[in-house]
Amino acid sequence: MLIPRKVKHRKQHHPSRSGAAKGGTKVVFGEFGIQALEPAYVTNRQIESARIAITRHIRRGGKVWINIFPDRPLTKKPAETRMGSGKGSPEYWVANVKPGRVMFEMNYPNEATAREALRRAIHKLPMKCRIVTREGGEF
Amino acid sequence: MSEVRLAAEPRTEFGKGAARRTRRAGKIPAVLYGHGSDPKHVALPALEFARVMRNHGTNTVLALELGSDTELALTKTVVTHPLRNYIEHVDLLLVRRGELVTVDVSVAVTGTAASGTMITQEATEIQVEADALNIPDGFEVSVEGAAVGTQILASSVQLPAGVTLVTDPEALLVNVVAAPSAAQMEAAVDAEGAGVVEDAPETES
Repeated sequence: MLIPRKVKHRKQHHPSRSGAAKGGTKVVFGEFGIQALEPAYVTNRQIESARIAITRHIRRGGKVWINIFPDRPLTKKPAETRMGSGKGSPEYWVANVKPGRVMFEMNYPNEATAREALRRAIHKLPMKCRIVTREGGEF
Repeated sequence: MSEVRLAAEPRTEFGKGAARRTRRAGKIPAVLYGHGSDPKHVALPALEFARVMRNHGTNTVLALELGSDTELALTKTVVTHPLRNYIEHVDLLLVRRGELVTVDVSVAVTGTAASGTMITQEATEIQVEADALNIPDGFEVSVEGAAVGTQILASSVQLPAGVTLVTDPEALLVNVVAAPSAAQMEAAVDAEGAGVVEDAPETES
């Protein structure tokens, strides 16, 4: 699973969820992509799960790009612990995704298979998404 | 490519409130500049401009009718909304007849490569210098029957007369590689067991 190699601060504040994506809103590497329509924290498990859903469906002959990285830690206090005694320990690594961000891209010769693979991957993600293409959707 | 006539009107009020009012009225706020002249703020009809971009491409030369004047312009930047795909703002660059302009022209891949290969298009556009009124619509490169290891460089694109390549001739456009196996794709992300090391906090002295 994706995880940062080194961080400056192990326990951070929650990242801001407001606003829309400033960049990375177009498909640039592959032919098809998954675009977020809502803000969400996407964990490294969800990213890996979506990637596996794509690769297991297309089996071979394609390429997948992951455009997001889970670089923000979220902490959690252990169960049945009284409040206080400092901040909990890091539990998840998340990517802070804003609406409009293209999170996954892929190349595959057959469009129907590619769309089905991306549809399966969308089910692993915590927000509403849509499938976008490199050429389509402009203007 | 010939020019497309489009009626434009000057804008007199600026800022986000005025820009939003312009968009609500079915127009696109735009700015026209170039050749050392002062920028002119104009409003373009949204539907007509979108139709021109869709049908003729972003390298279309527009003949903007500003009152009694007609200015030739090329779109430099088109800003679209990330989710709703409507055009928010346009930058237009003044051009003259016979002037050479540097533009990005799309490259399309045609044909089918040999079996067991995967085509990766490393660049979808190349930069060329051409007459403002004769900009090519697009270029095609064929990968028909291409074997593993075939590389198509920018220099191998057939350019029409009067068009010169600006992009590095050695720039890779299309790469034909062996299709990855199922096992290779499964193991694409190999970060299992990566440890997180915190940097020592900076001490203030």
